[in-house]
Amino acid sequence: MGRMKKPDGKVVLLGDMNVGKTSLLHRYMERRFQDTVSTVGGAFYLKQWGPYNVSIWDTAGREQFHGLGSMYCRGAAAVILTYDVNNVQSLIELEDRFLALTDSASTDCIFAIVGNKVDLTDECALLPETEDESRSKKPITSCITAKAQKQVHVEDAVALYKRILKYKLLDEKDAPAAEKMCFETSAKTGYKVDYLFETVFDMVVPLILQHRAEGLPQTVDISIYKPAKQAKSGCCA
Amino acid sequence: MEAADPDVPPAKGEGLEIPGEQTGPCPTETDGDEPDSVPEELCAIPAEPDSVVEEAGAEPDSVPEDLGTIPAEPPAPQSNGPLSTADGKVDAREELSDKELSDSASTDNVLEDSSEFGPPAVAVGGSGGPAGEEVVVPAVTTHRDEDVTAESWRKRRKHVFVLSEAGKPIYSRYGNEEALSSTMGVMMALVSFIQSGDNAIRSICSDDRKLVFVQQGPLVLVSVSRTLQSEQQLRQELLYVYYQIISMLTQVSITRIFERKKNYDLRRLLAGSEKILDRLLNLVESDPSFLLNAVRCLPLPASLRDSLGALLQKAITSNLVFSILVARSQLVTTVQEKTVIEDCRLEPTDLHLLLNLISATSAFQAGEIWTPICLPRFNPDGYFYAYISYLDAECTVCLILLSTDKESFYSVSDCKKRIEEGMRTQGYLQALSAGGSSQSPSYSVGLVGVPDLRHFMYKPLDIPENYRQLPQFTSPELESPYHSERERHRLFDLYHYLHSRIHSGCRPLRLIYHVAAKETLLAWVTSKFELYTCFSPLVTKAGAINVLTKLLRWIKKEEDRLFIRYPPRYSPTPNPGKSVKGGRSDGAENGFFAGL
Ligand SMILES: Nc1nc2c(ncn2[C@@H]2O[C@H](COP(=O)(O)OP(=O)(O)O)[C@@H](O)[C@H]2O)c(=O)[nH]1
Ligand SMILES: [Mg+2]
Repeated sequence: MGRMKKPDGKVVLLGDMNVGKTSLLHRYMERRFQDTVSTVGGAFYLKQWGPYNVSIWDTAGREQFHGLGSMYCRGAAAVILTYDVNNVQSLIELEDRFLALTDSASTDCIFAIVGNKVDLTDECALLPETEDESRSKKPITSCITAKAQKQVHVEDAVALYKRILKYKLLDEKDAPAAEKMCFETSAKTGYKVDYLFETVFDMVVPLILQHRAEGLPQTVDISIYKPAKQAKSGCCA
Repeated sequence: MEAADPDVPPAKGEGLEIPGEQTGPCPTETDGDEPDSVPEELCAIPAEPDSVVEEAGAEPDSVPEDLGTIPAEPPAPQSNGPLSTADGKVDAREELSDKELSDSASTDNVLEDSSEFGPPAVAVGGSGGPAGEEVVVPAVTTHRDEDVTAESWRKRRKHVFVLSEAGKPIYSRYGNEEALSSTMGVMMALVSFIQSGDNAIRSICSDDRKLVFVQQGPLVLVSVSRTLQSEQQLRQELLYVYYQIISMLTQVSITRIFERKKNYDLRRLLAGSEKILDRLLNLVESDPSFLLNAVRCLPLPASLRDSLGALLQKAITSNLVFSILVARSQLVTTVQEKTVIEDCRLEPTDLHLLLNLISATSAFQAGEIWTPICLPRFNPDGYFYAYISYLDAECTVCLILLSTDKESFYSVSDCKKRIEEGMRTQGYLQALSAGGSSQSPSYSVGLVGVPDLRHFMYKPLDIPENYRQLPQFTSPELESPYHSERERHRLFDLYHYLHSRIHSGCRPLRLIYHVAAKETLLAWVTSKFELYTCFSPLVTKAGAINVLTKLLRWIKKEEDRLFIRYPPRYSPTPNPGKSVKGGRSDGAENGFFAGL
């Protein structure tokens, strides 16, 4: 039913629970940080980007359990893999649990790796706070937290990025540079959040055009995608 | 009105002391053996036995385990301490349902798939090692950080704990579960000690506290309460907690998880869901929906409600089974797919849990949520896929569409667009958001026009069964003096107390006139309704009865606005498919652990 304004490209946020996926999106879309409550399932958003409609899926982090991951990722033009810079395990989980979900993404899918919550690290003193309103609104409790040594460094993310390219059988020369695709953000202060999303969207646009030129089906045409049930058995291995 | 008993002595006030006194000398589970102790200030008329039976039948929501396991005889003699236990039948029952479960566990690969989130299978990526055991503890939440050794922690009105059979902490209402692991260990030791004697622990009563235990499959739930709620009511609350967990994970998957790994840390799957349980526990204490097991409807002109129902009815797609429209947490209307409704109706519990989950979940209006969700009373083992979207900027009007097809997001989202469009062009949206001016959009008790009446809860029981109608109730806003939490708790303690007397397993009452310190209450149940009213303390018995007459007249007059009278249904969809409930294979069909 042609009523729906068809999204032109799909971006998916993946990563463990509590790393700040919802907060990042909230910061970007609503320009603020609030103590979000837990996400159930996935949440779908449309963002106007130039003449294009980019759809964004924010996921809960339990996708393996419900087997919905491949549905959220199907045909995605970009995947934003998110971890918490203060939590080593959250980076490991990206590779162990979430990478396989992206098997259903578009073959030329772009990957971004994002380390969030840099405001909690000792390096954050250097970071400019883009917006201050969050400070006053947040209960003091969260400000008391002593600044900790950063647990995950960009180099770890870069290494992961390169392993992902290998996993996808992509040549490093053909894919965007690792340094460009690894981000460190703070949803709380807004640090580099716009930069992250805008970089990704800008890179999605050429893909949209290319897909259009090739006449590829767009992400949402589900009638084409009544999937064979056993399509992705290796999904989380 | 003939039920009012004229020869009961006038009340002495402070009615609330009485239940406390009663449990004093007789700390064991006492529902069964105190027929002589009707408190003096209660004007109590026992219901005839057969009408009680009728009632139990007419109330499909009462949890069978509960009713079934109330000991027929007084507690067994060997339990001479304050521990009260049921006889071994409880365990037998559990075993039976477990067996049913494993029978219905359809395929092996489903089982296989469930390991995907478990540590052993996860390690394939080859880096983390045993770190998989680590639990992500949510950053900073108020109650989670509470010092569990502090006096203030111990003084909490009601604690609720959930643990696994292996004694692993899963949830604690206050304080961090980790800090409580030894406490929970003791609880589990108690449970298994009694179990080793082929019995099941039900409750422990001390002077000022009740401990109630509920075991459901591999989960043990414990309530430690200083409220005046009956054991049965506390048990019901624990079941709500259990069902809320089921609504996120399904019963069959929890069973399987613990079959595979006895000491699995379920918090790995529930991380982030604590707020949902926290919110639920706050609600059950102060929202009559849970006590009455009925749904509160947004008061609306019947014509508007009908038009909205018609709109929902038109905007359907295959595999859609329930369309639910909610405004400010109150039901506007629901439409059900015809074949489904013939199988089974939507249960109030399922709707309450669904709404609680939604309210505890982040949402901003731009987003559309798509999530697997289990309706535990409908089918504890299968998932629906819920589409959730707010229709107004203030996030007060919420549309919920439940589908059986996990791939149908985009077509369901399209249904929403049609509904939204229809509502806008007809101006329904404004009508809904303007329906009540205040935050909680109920109505003022002043509308009834009788000064002595402070508050009431009315649940009609004479719903035509062929409509498979949702049990509903109506209740005005809480006004002064019930603004503070403390006063509200007092009122609901009283309501809970009256409710427990009305629904007492062994000695149900039909009419209770109860004079408390700061208010007078009257509870009355007939074949047509269940009614709880609260008056100012100065009301006389005759005055109260007079008010009741006026109240009932008012409700009769308003009933088209207060209740959904004739719920609409879809005609069978183009692809009516299989029935959603019951079928063994449905769990898998329904997307349970799908993605295989
Ligand atoms: N200090 C800090 N806290 C954050 C940041 N981003 C998210 N959080 C907090 O981390 C918790 C989880 O965030 P959420 O967005 O729900 O994570 P999600 O599960 O990945 O969606 C919340 O309590 C947030 O307030 C951040 O950049 N800095
Ligand atoms: Mg989230």
